[in-house]
Amino acid sequence: MKPIWARIKRDHQRAGRFGYRLFAFATWIPVVSMFNHYVGELAWISGPSMYPFLNAEKDQTTRNDVVIKYKFNAPYGLRRGMIVTFWCAIDDLVSRWQVLRPHSADSGSRNPYDPEVEAVKRIVGLEGDIIRTRSPYPSPTVRVPMGHVWVEGDGGKRLSRDSNDYGPISTNLITGKVTHIVWPLHRFGRVQWWDYAGNIRN
Amino acid sequence: MSSLLGHPFRVLIYTTKALALGHLLVTYGYSTGYGWGPSMLPTFLTMNEWFVTDRSHRRGRRICVGDCVVYGIPVAPGEEGVKRVLGLPGDYVLLNSPGVGSDTMIQVPKGHCYIVGDNLPWSRDSRDFGPLPMALIKGKVVAKVVVNGWWPFNWFTRVESGLHPVSDSPIKT
Repeated sequence: MKPIWARIKRDHQRAGRFGYRLFAFATWIPVVSMFNHYVGELAWISGPSMYPFLNAEKDQTTRNDVVIKYKFNAPYGLRRGMIVTFWCAIDDLVSRWQVLRPHSADSGSRNPYDPEVEAVKRIVGLEGDIIRTRSPYPSPTVRVPMGHVWVEGDGGKRLSRDSNDYGPISTNLITGKVTHIVWPLHRFGRVQWWDYAGNIRN
Repeated sequence: MSSLLGHPFRVLIYTTKALALGHLLVTYGYSTGYGWGPSMLPTFLTMNEWFVTDRSHRRGRRICVGDCVVYGIPVAPGEEGVKRVLGLPGDYVLLNSPGVGSDTMIQVPKGHCYIVGDNLPWSRDSRDFGPLPMALIKGKVVAKVVVNGWWPFNWFTRVESGLHPVSDSPIKT
């Protein structure tokens, strides 16, 4: 009788210790979530829209680049040339997603998950700038309205769908700035976005 | 006391964890906020009212026409407002206020919605800045809070969708 009771007690203690460890681990989940929400997060880049800069080996490998996006005060302190991530209302990713789930394509107008995709592009114009647009845009020049930015991909018209397709975006949509490339390792390091300020045509 | 201060950073760590848990509830559960201004008059008063926001409707999830939403104002970085959803993607909406002489209708583009205040002449909304990207919706207003009396359950008033079935029309036939 006694050994059985001792075994039950021991098992109970062990389970209790395991349960406590599990609980102690779980209490850290909100901390990690808060860090990812306010400070920074890893992001996997998919698609060729930033081609010469991100996903540069797109024709050799299916592996995606990994970057760090810095999320603290994301909609503020924006400069021309910065690479930002934002919730896209209409993007190539969205349409591709709808192709993958064809039942949602016909009811696409009612699909609530359209705005759930983040895009990564380079800021070309800040509010008040006059932009020389590319072909899908209806007018040859446009002034970026208050509280908006003009974003374009490095990939150009063929590889990128950007503000030339859907117009300037609100800075409130911006979720983070891409500050570092993590993977692949030979391009590891800080994103020198200020070097690109000279390449911007406007 | 010695057990509480056993680890030099224990109190700090516990505080951080509690804050983070609170942040999680406020970001993905329910949050409250103060709103002021005449744009949603008769539904919401000009001031002295708080809102309870259901954040599970963030980025326009399961939003219907007639819901009151909290949204980030697209032309003012960091500012938020409360308006009512008039049209969802694909709907045809009146571009301007009724009765101003222009009857232009537009179709709300994919991933956007059209929002207006209940107090049309005193509201800045989609009639000024155009269709609102769904991703700017922070949540749906489910209740308003006015502190009157001591019984907390009397403070809350449920906010209903403004779209009623025809059978519920207040006009008696």
